[in-house]
Amino acid sequence: MNSGPAKEDWDALMQAALDGDSTAYARFLRAVTPVLRGIVLARGNAQFGAAGCEDILQEVLLAIHLKRHTWRRADPIRPWLYAIARHKVIDAFRARGRAITVPVEDFHEVLAAPADPDPLADRDRDRMLSLLDPRAADLLRGIGVAGDSIAETAGRLGMSEGAVRVALHRALKKLGSLRERHVE
Amino acid sequence: MKTEDLIAALVADRESAPNLTRAAMLALAATLGVSAALLTMIWGLRPDMGAALEPLVALKTLLPLGLGGVALALALRLSHPTVAVGGLPSALLAAPALALIAAGLTLTTTDPAAWQMQAVGKSIAKCLASIPLLAALPMAGLMVALRQGACLTPRTTGFAVGLAAGGFAAMLYSLHCTEDSPLFYSLWYSLAVLVVAGIGAALGPRLLRW
Repeated sequence: MNSGPAKEDWDALMQAALDGDSTAYARFLRAVTPVLRGIVLARGNAQFGAAGCEDILQEVLLAIHLKRHTWRRADPIRPWLYAIARHKVIDAFRARGRAITVPVEDFHEVLAAPADPDPLADRDRDRMLSLLDPRAADLLRGIGVAGDSIAETAGRLGMSEGAVRVALHRALKKLGSLRERHVE
Repeated sequence: MKTEDLIAALVADRESAPNLTRAAMLALAATLGVSAALLTMIWGLRPDMGAALEPLVALKTLLPLGLGGVALALALRLSHPTVAVGGLPSALLAAPALALIAAGLTLTTTDPAAWQMQAVGKSIAKCLASIPLLAALPMAGLMVALRQGACLTPRTTGFAVGLAAGGFAAMLYSLHCTEDSPLFYSLWYSLAVLVVAGIGAALGPRLLRW
C-alpha cells in the first residue's frame, strides 16, 4: 500500500525546503508523516494507543525539524530520516518506561497510516502547549492551530515580525527539549 | 495540538538552521583563545622556545595538535546521524603510535640509567592537572556547539569531544612545559588527554542528548 505522496522525491523536497521553499517543506512533512505514523503505531499502538502514538510521532517531527541541518544534501534523505525517527521512537518509549528495540528493517516494510479523524479529540489537545510558558503557547496556538501568518501574529501580539520568528523558533526548540522528558 | 497544526508551526519557523561545523569551529576558536591567554598569563611560555623546535620536542606540540584535529573531525561526523566515520577512528591511533616510536627511539639512544629520570621528570602532577584545566573551556564550548547535532552514540561522541579538547589543551601546555623527553610526554600527556576524554565520555550521554 504505497500511497501517492510516498512516491514523491523526498530528497528534492527537502533540498528545496532547506533553500527556503516552505511549500516544499510542508509537502515533505505531510508526505513523511503517514509513513512515520505507521512506524510508531506498529511499535506502540498496543501500549500507548493511537493518541499516545500521535504524541510520539510529533516528537519525531519536531526532531526532524530541529535537526534538519544534520542531513547532508548529497546523501539520500531516507536513511537520515529513519535514523532520526528510530532514535526518537526508542527515546520516547524509554521515557515512558518501555525499552524497545527497533530493527532497521521495520522502516522498509511499514505501511503508511493516515491519521484517525482526530486521535487526540478525547483528551486535552493543548497538553503539549501547556509545557510552554503562556506567551509561547499562545504564539504557537495562533500559528499552528489557528493558522495565523507571522505577520498576523505580530500584529495580534504587538511584536515585530522578527521577534515573532525568533519566539516561534525558541518555542519549538523548547518543545523539542521538554517533550523528551515529559512522561504522561 | 494536532499533528497537522504542529506541521504548520514547523513550516512557519523560517529561522535558518545552524551550521554545525562552523558552530564547533567558532566555539573551539573562542575557548582555545581563552585557554591560550590563561596559559601565557598564569603558566607562562617556556623561556627557551628555541628548544621546542628540536624534532623530538616539536612532536610534543604537533602530536596532540594532530590528535585534536582528528578527534574534532570525528566528533563532527558522529554528530551527523548518517555520515560514516570512515578511517578517522584508526587515524586517532596515529599520534599515540608516533609518540611510542619517539619514546622507543629515546630508549635506544639514552643511557638506561637516565630512563627513569626522564620519564618521571619533575612535573607529573602539574602536567596531569594543567591539561584538564586548559581543556575544560574548549570541552564545554564543543559540547554546547554539538548539542545542536544529532549524535546516535553520545558516549562515543563525548569521548571524541574530550579527546579533541584534551589534545588541543596538551598542545597549548607543551608551549609551557620544559619536559622534553618523549619518555615523559608519551606517558603523561597521553594519560592527561585520556582523563579529559574519559570526562567527555561520562558527560556525553547527559549533554549530547536530543
